[in-house]
Amino acid sequence: MKLKYADHKDVIKWAFLLPCLGYLVLMAIFPLVWSLSLSFTRWLGTIMEKPQWTGLTNFRNILFEDPRFWKALWFTVRFVSLAVTFQLGIGLGMAYLLRNNFRGRSFLRVLFLVPMACPPIAVAFLWKMMLHPDIGVINSALQMVGLPKVRWTTSVLVAPFTIVMVDVWEWTPFMFLALLAAFEALPVELDDAAAIDGASNFQIFRNITIPLIAPVIVTIVLIRVIDAFKLFELVFGITSCGPANATESLSYYVYLTGIKWFDLGKGAAMSWVFLLIVLGISLVLFRFRKTV
Amino acid sequence: MGIQKRSLGGWIVLWIIIAIFAVWTIFPIFWAVVTSFKYTGDAYEPTFIPWIQFKPTLQGWHFVFITAGERTLRSLRNSIVIASCSSAIVLLLGALAGYSLARFVFRTWKNKDIAIWILSNRMFPPVAVLIPYFLLMRTLRLLDSPLAIILAHTVLNLPLGVWLMMDFFRDLPRDLEDAAFIDGCSHLGAFFRIALPLAAPGLVAVYVLSFIFSWNEFIFVLVLGFNRAITIPIVIAGALTTKGLEFWKVASMSLIGVIPVVILATFVSKYLVRGLTLGAVKG
Repeated sequence: MKLKYADHKDVIKWAFLLPCLGYLVLMAIFPLVWSLSLSFTRWLGTIMEKPQWTGLTNFRNILFEDPRFWKALWFTVRFVSLAVTFQLGIGLGMAYLLRNNFRGRSFLRVLFLVPMACPPIAVAFLWKMMLHPDIGVINSALQMVGLPKVRWTTSVLVAPFTIVMVDVWEWTPFMFLALLAAFEALPVELDDAAAIDGASNFQIFRNITIPLIAPVIVTIVLIRVIDAFKLFELVFGITSCGPANATESLSYYVYLTGIKWFDLGKGAAMSWVFLLIVLGISLVLFRFRKTV
Repeated sequence: MGIQKRSLGGWIVLWIIIAIFAVWTIFPIFWAVVTSFKYTGDAYEPTFIPWIQFKPTLQGWHFVFITAGERTLRSLRNSIVIASCSSAIVLLLGALAGYSLARFVFRTWKNKDIAIWILSNRMFPPVAVLIPYFLLMRTLRLLDSPLAIILAHTVLNLPLGVWLMMDFFRDLPRDLEDAAFIDGCSHLGAFFRIALPLAAPGLVAVYVLSFIFSWNEFIFVLVLGFNRAITIPIVIAGALTTKGLEFWKVASMSLIGVIPVVILATFVSKYLVRGLTLGAVKG
């Protein structure tokens, strides 16, 4: 019997794994390689039949002659750092406050699923309605209590923060639920022992709780950072990258260049630059995760 | 925490914070529901209570299901077909690969390396493959076909499927499968008769999560579908740009996208955080 087990093992393990690996190679690796090869060409899809080899021209163009790319990168980086910081801060604070069992907790759990389960594009349009500068409910409410209207989506200064705010709405519950689970998994005895020894709440939080949940914090921050970099729907729906490109994310600019303007060569090159940036940041965070 | 007790004041403050957080979280959805029952003029007023503050109407829902009904139903059908097919492929490939990585030892490339490589496919931004996908589907004559979007969504969700299934199979006791081998069961038999049934909750979780993410996905449908293969997110995006500021239209259209996935999410609420973190955090 044991022999039979061993005999089949190697066949079965590869037979089970290969379909998945094959699919990913075909539908993820091959397209990425294709896009890399396109990135060394000039190919204006609307007027050119075939791509034309131009070497590193696209990359030089993007990195040194395209301020719009840098602006989009800068906006995306600011967006990711602000949004993830707020999400972690609020999520951690709320999870810490609510870590004890209380009535209505399972109800809240379900309530907080709503923002992250919603289609992001629906989130974008629901907020766009509410944030409309003239007839949105938020500005109407502000006026009713005597505050001035805010140009949520039309002011160069405010619009980037509007995008951050909506993302915070969408993803803070995720941080909250993940951290709540982490708090629940903590052994109660440690806190109790520290409390008996006379440690203050803050000391317990700072010296016991935080180090214990640090791995979870780093993991969810890593996931949020990677996902936040993909920012597209909120920009598409709420501001369409305006006003004056103040809210243009990298994903949006790549989409405009490659698909809307059909500049396939430059779009491919830009998507590779984007990919390398995300890869670099992920690697740094992964490293950091191992040290925690 | 067993020892510390909150004072009454502490409880009140806590409940106020909870209430603010809860209202902030649910208000946009609540507002969409209210707006979807309003006339154009009322939709711009901050009023909440039907019959007292404004006269409710079904014009938004009438528009969505009757006036633009053909487009709505087509995209609903596409959304359902695309999400269920791509989730089925994710489940099949994910369960097989997850089982393989959970139960067998790989030597040339270690299990962990293979798993991390699969995971890395979820990290790259989807726009990075937009151009090759567009060209590929054009070559295969699959532009504006649901099949193209099914193939794309499968790539997005496959890492999730593999990681969660790997996680679920690892949590299953191995003894049961070993007992089956001793009774003369083949490896395939052990997988189908023992491991799969035991992992049923995991299979459901993977399928439903993958369904939700496919339903919500926007950018691939935007690029690969124009008319025939559009899904609900595309129709939502079109609701505001077509003509003026008809908020009732946007609201009812968005709710059609929101309600099914929110209902599905409550069924897998235990697994949503786990799914979003690919098993790293067990919520």
